[in-house]
Amino acid sequence: MTFLAFLFILISLVTFVAAQLILKKAMEFSATHGMRNSYFVSRVAIGVVLMTVSFFLTLGLLQRFDLSYLYPFQGLSVIFITILAAVVLKEKLSARLAIGALLITAGIVLVSMS
Amino acid sequence: MQNRPSGFGNPWLQLGLSVVCVFASELLLKRGASEVAAPDDAFSWTGINGLASPLVWWAIVLIIASFISWLYVLRYIPLSFAYPLSRVVDILVPLGCWIFLGELISTLRWCGIGLVVFGLALVAKPIAKMEERL
Repeated sequence: MTFLAFLFILISLVTFVAAQLILKKAMEFSATHGMRNSYFVSRVAIGVVLMTVSFFLTLGLLQRFDLSYLYPFQGLSVIFITILAAVVLKEKLSARLAIGALLITAGIVLVSMS
Repeated sequence: MQNRPSGFGNPWLQLGLSVVCVFASELLLKRGASEVAAPDDAFSWTGINGLASPLVWWAIVLIIASFISWLYVLRYIPLSFAYPLSRVVDILVPLGCWIFLGELISTLRWCGIGLVVFGLALVAKPIAKMEERL
């Protein structure tokens, strides 16, 4: 795997997770403030743009790698969420999460060597 | 989970459909991307040339269908319950690569996939709870 491919995998995952969280925030906001406001529309627009970026980068990667090679990298999204939760929610890392993150990381290392 | 609709509106059926749509869309995306692959062309890193394949468009339809099903599921089943169940797709996709796409998966890659699947199963519930609060 080249550095460029790894970079695109990371960008594709980060944009996907960010889009999910931004869209979730927008939907929560719409429940109390409705959908006809600039906050909701701008958040949905940002979410859709990020999802589109993630989709096309994945499509570019799929032209070069097996799906069985690329798919396990999606496990990294769990690690991004854990880091984000630690920063935003000041969440402590439980033993279960730490072991899970280690297993996922080890698995991805093995897949990337294959 | 009260007042659950029955028939096609059954949220468990919709959860299953959502998983099947994700699974099928991943395989179609790979097939479609391979059809139009131009690895020597730097522009193809953007993936936009993938739109030339009809299979990619079918995959997009399935992604939208899975998204709609998923939103429907979340009206009736808590994320911390639905999300871990939906991760069964992590097992289905590598099997689909092997069975339907004919990808040659080495023992090393199977071991890596196994570790990722096991790790995801372990963290699915706490991750769903974090996502709910984020």
